[in-house]
Amino acid sequence: MSMASIIVAITAFVLGALLALLTIPVLVWLERRTAGLVQDRLGPNRTNIFGFRLGGVVQSFADVVKLLIKEEYYPSHIKIGRWLFMLSPIITFTAALLAFMVIPFADTLIIDGEALRMQPLPVEYGVFWYLAIGSVGVIGVIFGGWLSHNKYSLLGAMRATSMVVSYELPLGLAIISFIVTYNTVDFNAMVQYQTDTLFGFLPSWGVFLQPLASIILIVALFAETNRNPFTVAEGESEIVAGYMTEYSAMKFAMYFMGEYVAMNTASAVIITMIFGGYQLPYVSTQMLLENFNYFAYALIVLVPAFTWWMISFMRKNNRVRPSVTTDSGRIFETKVITIFLLFLAVVVDAILLYLSLIPNVLATQIAVTMIQVVIFVLKLMAFNMFFILIRWTLPRFRYDQVQSLGWNYLLPLSLFNLFVTAIVVVGVN
Amino acid sequence: MGKNIITTPRYGKNFKDRLYLPAIYEGCKVTFKHFFTNINNSNAVDTLEYPEEQPSDITSRYRGLHRLTHRADDTIACVACFMCATACPSDCIFIEATERDDNKDEKMPKSFSIDTLECIFCGYCVEACPCDAIRMDTGIFSLTGNSREDFVLNKDQLLSYKGAFGEENSCARS
Ligand code: SF4
Ligand code: SF4
Repeated sequence: MSMASIIVAITAFVLGALLALLTIPVLVWLERRTAGLVQDRLGPNRTNIFGFRLGGVVQSFADVVKLLIKEEYYPSHIKIGRWLFMLSPIITFTAALLAFMVIPFADTLIIDGEALRMQPLPVEYGVFWYLAIGSVGVIGVIFGGWLSHNKYSLLGAMRATSMVVSYELPLGLAIISFIVTYNTVDFNAMVQYQTDTLFGFLPSWGVFLQPLASIILIVALFAETNRNPFTVAEGESEIVAGYMTEYSAMKFAMYFMGEYVAMNTASAVIITMIFGGYQLPYVSTQMLLENFNYFAYALIVLVPAFTWWMISFMRKNNRVRPSVTTDSGRIFETKVITIFLLFLAVVVDAILLYLSLIPNVLATQIAVTMIQVVIFVLKLMAFNMFFILIRWTLPRFRYDQVQSLGWNYLLPLSLFNLFVTAIVVVGVN
Repeated sequence: MGKNIITTPRYGKNFKDRLYLPAIYEGCKVTFKHFFTNINNSNAVDTLEYPEEQPSDITSRYRGLHRLTHRADDTIACVACFMCATACPSDCIFIEATERDDNKDEKMPKSFSIDTLECIFCGYCVEACPCDAIRMDTGIFSLTGNSREDFVLNKDQLLSYKGAFGEENSCARS
């Protein structure tokens, strides 16, 4: 093992952990603000540290602190299986977290002829890992519901189980269609496959190659993450909080955070499988490396433009209305963040300029990797936004409707799709 | 019969409806539109920036915090008849009666307290009172405190609140 490989492995792991864990508060905040804006409200925007509210994202951290110092309440009627009762939120959370660890954030780095994968877990059978670990999450839900000794929890767990049997098969079959099409079980190779073009003008993303399987995949992953319209395992109006009813403080938070990690993981899988992963459409890593100068020049223009847009957006929206007299430090906050953003833009531009003027193979590689990570994060956030907006758009399905959707529509469709795919693939080869 | 029967069309049976995806698209169009207009100009969202902005649309029928009214000569209007305490569904009015020495009435409350944490703001106490001595017209909609005891309002506190809508004294006792 060389020095470079160790550094890359550690970087990839830290990046993965950060992406999975740091996105939780951001996603919770995003969800609450989006819900507000969709419903013509504002959402949480008050919590601040020394006047810095960052649009309200501080609220999520305050919530975490609150949950951490809350009284650890343990329901006394649970006599058997205490340790499993405590363990089940951890199972759900860990499963979601581990499933995220096989997503590539950037293309394989080749340093001194050594291929270093930009995955927290550098494995070549990512899809299998995801399928195996991703489905474990629901076991935590079922254990939690069963061991709560509570009718609501039991009903919630039962519904979660009914969900598993209805979406797991279509999900697996849809993924098999992708495996057949891409001829690989490696997420990174799937991304590589999608950098080509289709008919000369479309990027060969999975969503264009396999529209039907893509829809099934998205629907099944919505179900897997327990998000609307498939939130059957919990239902305020019918079964209180479902399987979470008896959980409080950090135990509850584990389930709650697990849900967001699962959503993040699902988004990552969707963009990696059908939206070209960390790649820009039409642009392969090779192209990026060879024509780095042009990309650098483009970015030198784009980064300040984007910064300018962010600053003008902030100046427009981070202020109080004319009817309110105190501004509670918003002008000061805007000023500080503006200076910070300008500084950041200047630094990024300087680095890009330096790299384009003085070519350096290793530095270029690292820069390309970073660009890909940024693209990955942007795509990930865009898809998370889609998840969130869908939640505030659609009503909930009844759980028998989910079952009939799974068995009567999605399963035959995915089987049909698999047959067609297999015939086409065999015919073409 | 016959003439007035209106047959409403049944939806959800044709292929487009059963596909469900066009409906999702239509729904998303609405939510996305709200989202993008609001994020573009979040100051135009029609909400109240509470607590900097206070509501200005509290009507005189609004059931706010309770108060005890006065007579014209500023003495307490309540005669400690216990009607309100009897009517209260949450049993949160606590009255102790004592003899009255100013020849106005026979009785008056020695202590009168309302536990606002128990109160459901139903207004039955106001309805029950024969002397118009208890009212909920203060227009106060928020009460804050650091302990549970802070929310048990005593006689002096209840007497100190002013009516927000003009009528100050009791209309039944003078
Ligand atoms: S408003 Fe209703 S609950 Fe409150 S004190 Fe009066 S009667 Fe009791
Ligand atoms: S407030 Fe009215 S109902 Fe209650 S004790 Fe006094 S006079 Fe009687």
